[in-house]
Amino acid sequence: MSAPESIGIAALLSRPYKYVRLEWSSELSALRVRTCVTPIQCYSLSAMGELQRVLLDVADNAGLVKHFVMTSDVPGVFNFGGDLSLFVLLIRARDHESLRLYGRRCVDLLWWMETAAQLGVHTTVLVQGDTLGGGLESVLPFHKVIFERSAQAGFPEVLFNSFPGMGAWNFTIRKAGFAIANEMILSGKLYTAQQLYDYHLVDMVVDDGQGEEAIEEALRSVHPRLRGTLAALQARSVAAPVTYESLMSIVERWTANSLNLTERDLKLMERLARAQVRKGTRGMSEGAVEEIKKVELDRAWGEERTGITEWAPL
Amino acid sequence: MNFFTDVIERTDEARRAFETNPVVVEAVAHGMEIQRYRTLLCELYHVVWHFNPICAAAASRITDEFAGVRYFLYQHMHEEMGHEQWVLNDLEAIGLSKRQLLEYQPSPQALALCGFNYWAADRRHPCSVLGMMYVLEVIAAVYGGPFSAAVKEGLLLQNDRGTSFLSSHATLDAVHMTELREILNQVTLHEVQDTIVESICVNFHQITHVFAAI
Repeated sequence: MSAPESIGIAALLSRPYKYVRLEWSSELSALRVRTCVTPIQCYSLSAMGELQRVLLDVADNAGLVKHFVMTSDVPGVFNFGGDLSLFVLLIRARDHESLRLYGRRCVDLLWWMETAAQLGVHTTVLVQGDTLGGGLESVLPFHKVIFERSAQAGFPEVLFNSFPGMGAWNFTIRKAGFAIANEMILSGKLYTAQQLYDYHLVDMVVDDGQGEEAIEEALRSVHPRLRGTLAALQARSVAAPVTYESLMSIVERWTANSLNLTERDLKLMERLARAQVRKGTRGMSEGAVEEIKKVELDRAWGEERTGITEWAPL
Repeated sequence: MNFFTDVIERTDEARRAFETNPVVVEAVAHGMEIQRYRTLLCELYHVVWHFNPICAAAASRITDEFAGVRYFLYQHMHEEMGHEQWVLNDLEAIGLSKRQLLEYQPSPQALALCGFNYWAADRRHPCSVLGMMYVLEVIAAVYGGPFSAAVKEGLLLQNDRGTSFLSSHATLDAVHMTELREILNQVTLHEVQDTIVESICVNFHQITHVFAAI
């Protein structure tokens, strides 16, 4: 490694982070980012601030990082997506500007991933647990998406009358097509790793515990043909473009819709937030995924028994 | 960027520190055993009892430059008047008499929380009281609902019996949050904004310690 690169990586690794842990592999010039936002592994403003700082450092040290790898340090959870408590706060405060700011922060992270090939960086993500809403949106722009078999994912926002507003439509359509994007976003259902693979949203499904080996394999297979791969990926974004303006336009709609959520929708959001906390404490297996299944079941029972599609008061 | 958005960003860490404190996490996820819930309400009684005097101290020191904030405080004090009675009712519903409540000695954490707010209104800037209001309303509007639901489930309480203070504030403070956002956005002086942000951070810190000490 040359001297300027050494200075760059030292500075990059030495920043004091609270929610991310960085590891460096000089052999492959790979930066590994492990996220840990306890007790709810979600995209809080502070966590996104740290991620943005890492990404800016990578961009400022052009040519230093060739592989960017993201994983979660929280067992059983990759990411629960948006900071639901913050959403409740901002919606109750009728704060349009802060909701839009939150959306923009998310889009900025996605946009970095979308344009990483132009920076000479290949991106890989390993999902080893539940990833919901914004959590799933955040993995879609990665060049290589690896899921362990037991991981589950979906866009549950429609269950509380919202929708995933930070890239879900753009990236799901690009990777899987309109019909599948419609099905996933409008149903709010959860999907297995295999189903997501069949939909071409995931590139590799490996058995539980094999994720680390899969990362290694993915990096080693792409490394010898990195320049060609990155050039091809840049061409891909010309062939099937996703624009920053389009992403932000959807954020505007998401913001406006958020301010129309009712008290019942917010209570359901709080119920999911509580379930997310339960997953993070006492090592309980019951978490947000199980709560979403209960909500789906409640709704199905309600329709079957009474024909009423509204939920009972929460 | 308006000041409320700035507040959200600058105090996000402090809010998350409250939200992620193990005692708070446990309480929101699973509720609380009865003795600890009684202690929490006794602590909250103290905080609620001092809320209006702190607002009054601030209102009396606010210059005409911030007349809008002063009127906001008048209105808010009127709305909050008598809410300590709700805490008292909840305590009686879960087996603690008024006499026992009045004999309760607030923790150093609760005393420090109130003490800071009196001091900040007097020596920092009277508008810093908006920081106290922000914290209490965020806690009520965002965490009050799930917490009261968890307490009800855990203690098998019927309707709002024993949780009326928490439940009603969760709904009431949703309206207050909007009003608070509007009044915060009227504060444009950076030095005053800084004292409000400081107050929010201290209030989150102290109330986290009130919970943690229970």
